Amino acid sequence: MVINCQSLIQNLKINNRIFPKQKQMSTENSGYLSITDILVTTEKVPCKFLHDLPKMGFLDPSAADVDLKAGCSVEIPLWLAESLYSRRPPLVSVELPKIYKESYREILNADACAVDLHKLGQHFYELGCYVAKHDIKSEVAATLNNTYRQRFRMLLAASMSSDSINTMQPLSASERIQAADASNTERSFLTWLQRGDTPLTTANMVANHRKRKRAEMEML
Amino acid sequence: MFAEKVIELIKEVDRNPDTIDQYNDEKIRQIIEEMHLLFKLNMNDANATTENRSLWTTVQVRHSALERNKRCILAYLYNRMKKIKTLRWEFGAVLPPDIRELLSDDEYQWFSKYSGNLALYMRSLGQDIGYSGIDLTENLKPPKSLFIEVLCVVDYGKLELEDGDVVMLKKNSRHYLPTSECQTLIRQGILKQIM
Repeated sequence: MVINCQSLIQNLKINNRIFPKQKQMSTENSGYLSITDILVTTEKVPCKFLHDLPKMGFLDPSAADVDLKAGCSVEIPLWLAESLYSRRPPLVSVELPKIYKESYREILNADACAVDLHKLGQHFYELGCYVAKHDIKSEVAATLNNTYRQRFRMLLAASMSSDSINTMQPLSASERIQAADASNTERSFLTWLQRGDTPLTTANMVANHRKRKRAEMEML
Repeated sequence: MFAEKVIELIKEVDRNPDTIDQYNDEKIRQIIEEMHLLFKLNMNDANATTENRSLWTTVQVRHSALERNKRCILAYLYNRMKKIKTLRWEFGAVLPPDIRELLSDDEYQWFSKYSGNLALYMRSLGQDIGYSGIDLTENLKPPKSLFIEVLCVVDYGKLELEDGDVVMLKKNSRHYLPTSECQTLIRQGILKQIM
């Protein structure tokens, strides 16, 4: 297992050299223009409003009123919550979504591998990073760390396995990307070791465009 | 709810990371309309805040929504731009018509400019050592041999080689060609290398 880990880490290093483009993509992940970050910030979080909001009653689907009263709890998208929380004085107080709460934290700390993160939270780690600062006891950050540590073995198994559909199923979105990258790297590392001829291939986008066109033709 | 249409746009990009979609003119127009509406409502309420202080919070909520919409549209355009850049490297300077119609007019203009700039740069390369430019889109993999055997995948037509020979590229025909002449065609998916 240790050797496997080392080779994986080594592969990742090689990967960065072969595909510098992908490395650039990962630094973009926290950026203003990142698609992943936008999708993470659309996730809804429960919030408590601290001030009256006139004409904003539609934010709460169960309220009949035109105005939103102070003190009611509503689920709003993270981007709105973040921006309202950062106002002086803050307009909302952000509460933890249910999978970061005490009961789920216990499950995750007991055996993180048993949890299907794809169903529970597609962007478990990323959303966790955002809500961790709203946790008073600051246990969320430790849970995230611990979860990833426990699931790393699973991730490794998923990236090595040939039966990708079953092993990939319980992984969250970012874990899936990591597993796919790892198995790609493994493959290119093996071909490099064999020193085989690398045949010239069709460019990625050209091939995908053609595949999709064929699918469209068949549908007609 | 605010900024929901724009998320559909973002999901569109997320779904197909490897291909380019039709430029979603209609949706962009709808989002910009939503933003105009938000701006107008905000203007009215901001003017009214002198009498009613509590309206100020509402203005802030709408302002966040405006900024969110702006961010998402910029991200959509930026990610398309990155793909268009890849198009230049993979399809070449002339786009096939079915790809061309996926781009908006402004995007196509950008593509032409990018293509022109890249060509200019490639022509300027190596002038100090006596070359008249280097085609950077060639030899992306280290060449192993001067000649390779290829299979033609589509009916392409005539291909004139550098030495003046003309080869007829018909579907399912096999050829033995200089690597330098056919690697662009392989990348464009017209030929396939036989190992």
